[in-house]
Amino acid sequence: MQITLKKGITTILSAILIAITCNGQEEVTEHFFKASGTPVNPEVQVAWNRYYTNEGLLGIYRELERAHPSLVKLESIGKSFEGRDIWVLTVTNHKNRYHGDKPGFWIDGNIHANEIQCSEIALYTAWYLAENYGQNRFITGLMDDKVFYIAPTINPDGRHNYMHEPNTVNSPRSGTIPLDDDGDGEAAEDGFDDLNNDGHITQMRRRCEFGEYREDPDDPRRLVRVRPGERGEFELLGWEGIDRDGDGRINEDRIGYYDPNRDWGWNWQPDYVQRGAYHYPFALPENKAVRDFILSRPNIAGAQSYHNTGGMILRGPGAAEDERLMRPVDRRVYDAIGELGDRLLPGYRYLVLYRDLYTVYGGQIDWFHFNRGIYTFTNELMTSYLYFYEQYETRDDSQRAQFDFDRYLLFEDAFVPWEKYDHPQFGEIEIGGFKKNFGRIHPGFMFEQDAHRNMAFTLHHAYHTPQLDIHEFTVNDLGAGLSEVITVISNSRLIPTHSGIDVENNIERPDYITLEGGEVLAGMKVHNRDLNIAEEQKVNPARMEIANIPGMGLVTVKWIVEGGRDYRVTVDSAKGGRFTREF
Amino acid sequence: MKSFLLPLMAFILILAIPLSLYGRDDYPDHDRLAARLKSLEADYPQYVSLQSLTQTAGGKDIWVLSIGTDNLSDRPAIAVAGGTEGDHLLGTELALRFAGMLLKETVSGKTGSLLDSVTFYVFPDMTPDAGEQYFLPLKYERKGNANSSYTDRYGNAIDHPYTDLNNDGMITLMRVRDRNGDWIPHPDDDRVMVKADKGIGETGRYSVYPEGVDLLKDDRWTEAGVNFNRNFSFKFPNFTSGAGEHAVSEEESRAIASFLFDAKNVYAVVSFGSANNLTEPLSYNEREASGRIITGILEGDARVNQMVSRKYNEITGDISGPAAAGSDGDFFQWAYFHYGRHSFSTPGWSFPREQPGNGGRRSRSERDDCPALHFLKWADEQGIDDVFIPWESAVHPMFPGKEIEVGGIRPFAMKNPPFEMTADIATSHYRFILALAEMRPEIRIRNVETEVLGRGVYRITADIVNSGILPTVSELGERVRWVQKTVVRLETDEGQETLSGNRIEVLDAVQGGKTETRSWLIKGRGSVKLRAGAENTGFDEVIIRL
Repeated sequence: MQITLKKGITTILSAILIAITCNGQEEVTEHFFKASGTPVNPEVQVAWNRYYTNEGLLGIYRELERAHPSLVKLESIGKSFEGRDIWVLTVTNHKNRYHGDKPGFWIDGNIHANEIQCSEIALYTAWYLAENYGQNRFITGLMDDKVFYIAPTINPDGRHNYMHEPNTVNSPRSGTIPLDDDGDGEAAEDGFDDLNNDGHITQMRRRCEFGEYREDPDDPRRLVRVRPGERGEFELLGWEGIDRDGDGRINEDRIGYYDPNRDWGWNWQPDYVQRGAYHYPFALPENKAVRDFILSRPNIAGAQSYHNTGGMILRGPGAAEDERLMRPVDRRVYDAIGELGDRLLPGYRYLVLYRDLYTVYGGQIDWFHFNRGIYTFTNELMTSYLYFYEQYETRDDSQRAQFDFDRYLLFEDAFVPWEKYDHPQFGEIEIGGFKKNFGRIHPGFMFEQDAHRNMAFTLHHAYHTPQLDIHEFTVNDLGAGLSEVITVISNSRLIPTHSGIDVENNIERPDYITLEGGEVLAGMKVHNRDLNIAEEQKVNPARMEIANIPGMGLVTVKWIVEGGRDYRVTVDSAKGGRFTREF
Repeated sequence: MKSFLLPLMAFILILAIPLSLYGRDDYPDHDRLAARLKSLEADYPQYVSLQSLTQTAGGKDIWVLSIGTDNLSDRPAIAVAGGTEGDHLLGTELALRFAGMLLKETVSGKTGSLLDSVTFYVFPDMTPDAGEQYFLPLKYERKGNANSSYTDRYGNAIDHPYTDLNNDGMITLMRVRDRNGDWIPHPDDDRVMVKADKGIGETGRYSVYPEGVDLLKDDRWTEAGVNFNRNFSFKFPNFTSGAGEHAVSEEESRAIASFLFDAKNVYAVVSFGSANNLTEPLSYNEREASGRIITGILEGDARVNQMVSRKYNEITGDISGPAAAGSDGDFFQWAYFHYGRHSFSTPGWSFPREQPGNGGRRSRSERDDCPALHFLKWADEQGIDDVFIPWESAVHPMFPGKEIEVGGIRPFAMKNPPFEMTADIATSHYRFILALAEMRPEIRIRNVETEVLGRGVYRITADIVNSGILPTVSELGERVRWVQKTVVRLETDEGQETLSGNRIEVLDAVQGGKTETRSWLIKGRGSVKLRAGAENTGFDEVIIRL
């Protein structure tokens, strides 16, 4: 009786336990109560309302690896120009299958130095995946089936420079190779000067009776253009700086200049065609490291690169002439995922790069798509829509919203008030304006929401990388020791094992469906099972070569086998994964 | 089969080693090339530095000789590239001999003073992996390097796709009797195979393939490795055999491009390869020369090409065969369109082609232009009798029961003349490159005048003159960020003030013999330094005392 009771209590207790962990996780602890969709008490505590230096990021990578050794592995894939490591987190369930045998997904950020929150978004993704493994069914499945290669920053030199050196909101965009921007034979000799020593490069203005600007009566910090015929009070003199080399120009030869996102190997064009291109494709060590990594991971079937700004979900091509190479199947995949993004990301729009933004030759997403056949999006993070959930038609309107937002929500934290300064070339001027951390990167309190929404979009994209399974395995006895073995392989997701451009150009090897157990006399790909239309593969029929397993589709192969038994079927697809089943 | 071949090949290899190491009458293999380069460096240490830029996938050095005197990177330079195509050994020999003759003449004093004002960068062999095939027991005109990371796109690693069916150590052609074939023996010379002309009622009797080619399942065959001359970024031929994963993917391509981008002093590139814009210059085409992506030579540069081509023909005579504009992804076009320098290319030698017969059936046809026909005619006239391997029957596992013959022109023979001929060819090309050096742009400051305007205010006027023949930069180079334009810089003493005039000015192209006049107003006594030039024109400097 007692024993029964005890047993009963245990049963009830475990039932309760199951109830509170129905979605895997305890919903209340001594100190915390779970907010839906967010881990209640993560192993690695990260504040998602600030940004991290390279050292800060590395600290979190190491914490994640330490706390989740079977889920997160950290490696350096190469060095930057200044010798910093390019870190990649390999995030998956490392225990069930070798990561290279799972469909892979690449995420990177911060290729442009000043677009720093991209790194935190990529890192949020790694953190979220690791902390939710075993807790959330969708995430657990994703980690069991797929592998994420996450490079939060592929431009650590630029990130360091942006944070530690005086900069504008736009600088630097490049890495830090010093180049001769003004063509005078000297490199990077006339950059910004932080005249007021506040770590930010803001604007210079000078009182001027015939100036083009006057103060905005609604917010005197803001300058507005005067109407034609009206006299202004100020002229704008550009970003903080002095003419260091005496050529009559200010800030004309800064660090860098080149654009790391014009350095990739598809339709690469030189600088006079595509401003920002460096010497030749992958001349930049950071991009070359990424290239080498991608080439060494043929399982990568989808990719995401994060940029700012403007609230965009972009697909390629970057140049109009390449649209003709966009196969209908590829457009359909992009449209399906992109349109989902439209919904998940308020204020963001799904767009085509060359058509809706501008032409980019030698861009990263084109190399991924056209050279490697990898479905890739670029998200341009942050949009002025997020200030007051309003769409602004003009630059003036969105600028006014920025001032209002800073005033009412940030309590003027983002603005350096105008102050007098005695300039060696301009005389008495005033220096002031928005800080470098405002306008392109999210204000602290807004970061986590947008990170989560962007991550969700990317996870759904990753979910749709090929998911192969053996849908049917049938053996029919043909008599005389011969059997007919029919295997149907399914792909239950949107993305095919070979994109349209891939199939057309044989980018990736075919998928192999291999039969063991008996002597294979013949093998064929079945085009129509009902009408018995099949195409024989005469060479090496035990290993059938399948050009593509389409998204949400089936492929049927048939073998004629002598003396077959204890069959083993191995599906080996570069992008669809590799597994063996026994029958 | 294999176990039988290997010892045989090893035996042939042993026989071949002494020949290639000590034989003096053949093109140099990689070891002999290195030995000759090192001896040049040892013999002329004051002028030469030898550097290995990188190693190829096959572990072979990519060499560059920098030839010049002190501060050689501040002097206008010509880059000379040989071996841009794996089967063009002549190019390597011409580049090597160019360096040798140049240095030898420094001793006689003839070129010593030239090296005080011009620098030469000589890349004798950009394709050592492919070029090696000339020296191996199995000879064929290989283009690809030893990079094996590229597969045949079916997942199979590829070596070379050939088999030496007649065991003569050469890959020639294989013709298969085939009623559906497109080929017939040439009516004028039955050694040569040509396509049947259906327009005049001919029907094909043969299919023609490279000897022993191992056709893939879809009847295609793919060569191994990456071809240097298809790996560059101008009109890069994506997804084609030998082009590479993407433009400038290979170590040797990256190495030469990086070296040249760093060498701001290079004003012209001379390559030895199949492109030829020296026998006839490239012509200007307005449509190609405009638009965002430029695909044709610009007008001013076409004029330069014309002038240089005239000089080339004057010096070398008609020895380089027909004009050839270049091919997609090649080095020669890259050097102009993406590197922005004057770029010249020649095969160095070709057999003469008779003008298409006026009394013939048609005025000009593919058949009359058939290079093999002209080549064999020339060889016969010269009494060269070992360049044709007569057709002989053979067997091939992919064509069981078919009548197969193997034969054709000896590999390499059509692009590389008998070695004895190379001395004369090298001399004329040496002279041509020296003539191109004499045309170099050269910035000089002339006619410096100082006027006193009173109260310590001076006006300085000076002419910035390009005393050379070529413009300071090519017309395309004006747009290319990596081409250094002429900089005029006026440096004043402390206490002096520049009242007017640019202290730093970057000039667009200054044509040969043309002058740019500049003036400045300076307040205050002292000395002023005026410096003008760039690495690709040399620098000039004057001190003006006020």
